[in-house]
Amino acid sequence: MSNHSTAVTADPHLDPTTSTGIPNKKLLLWAFLASDCMFFGCLISTHLIYRLHPAPDNIDPTKVFNLWLTSGSTFVLLMSSLMMALAVNFIQKGRIVAMRWALAITIFFGLIFLGCQFYEFHNFVYEHGMTITGSIFGTTFFTLTGTHGIHVLIGVIWLTSMLIYSFSDRFSKADAIDIESMGLYWHFVDIVWIVIFTVVYLLEFVR
Amino acid sequence: MTSHSSTHAAGDDSHSEPGRVKLFVIIALILGIITALEIGVLFMPVIDPVRIAMLVVFSIVKFALVIFIFMHLKWDRLFCTLLFLMGLSLASGTVTILIHVFKVKDSVPLTSHASITAPAQLDAVSRTA
Repeated sequence: MSNHSTAVTADPHLDPTTSTGIPNKKLLLWAFLASDCMFFGCLISTHLIYRLHPAPDNIDPTKVFNLWLTSGSTFVLLMSSLMMALAVNFIQKGRIVAMRWALAITIFFGLIFLGCQFYEFHNFVYEHGMTITGSIFGTTFFTLTGTHGIHVLIGVIWLTSMLIYSFSDRFSKADAIDIESMGLYWHFVDIVWIVIFTVVYLLEFVR
Repeated sequence: MTSHSSTHAAGDDSHSEPGRVKLFVIIALILGIITALEIGVLFMPVIDPVRIAMLVVFSIVKFALVIFIFMHLKWDRLFCTLLFLMGLSLASGTVTILIHVFKVKDSVPLTSHASITAPAQLDAVSRTA
């Protein structure tokens, strides 16, 4: 899976075989994350514009949002980031078993987050009648948080496939760059949620 | 750009495994505490601008802690930081500009409360005159 294994051993952040000194996979991930920032920036802008200019029959978000549930899922996602960071640290030190446990807990936390989001969406639709086509607020809210949820789902699938791969004989410390790249994606999902949590949820309770 | 990457391996304690693990756990605790504080801010008896400022600062601190510590930007090459900040700056600029563009009266969405009530207000003003 990694063909530059010799370069990884000395310092996991360096790869002397590339012109930049940065492992190509990591560089690719950073470029992708930079572009994904702009993608989420557009979705957040759209949501904010329609929140600043709400429709007359707009639903009151403070009456439908469950602040404690969202805070709990935020905390779970932050702790999943801790486990992901530990998983990267463990594989860089060659502690494969510890890495597997850290990855498994990260997946578990990711699934809890997705479960909370599913429960929240279900509650919005069936308890409050807030659907993606029912109002502009519903459209921008579900598009933004749903896109983030899909990112989390992709992350969970990626983590699971990597966890399964870690049990094969081909997996070794040389694959640390793959785990680190996956970790970058997972942490990005976390930082996007940090912004969404403040902008979409918390600021609603201030106005 | 390359110097900081090569120097930390020599003696930076935070880069060794026990130091790094401890650092990650401390950062996670700080992130958890900040999240709790964010909820606490909503119930604090302060004026809204102060509350908004506190929430924004907390959010920025959490964001920075994750990208620099968990995502290793602190130890990585500067180029990675610049690459990410480039995307982040463009995204922040897009958000800022779009919000300001839509503050202009003619750009207010037609579905908004302001757009729908504006003609009625104009009629009322003209009748009074």
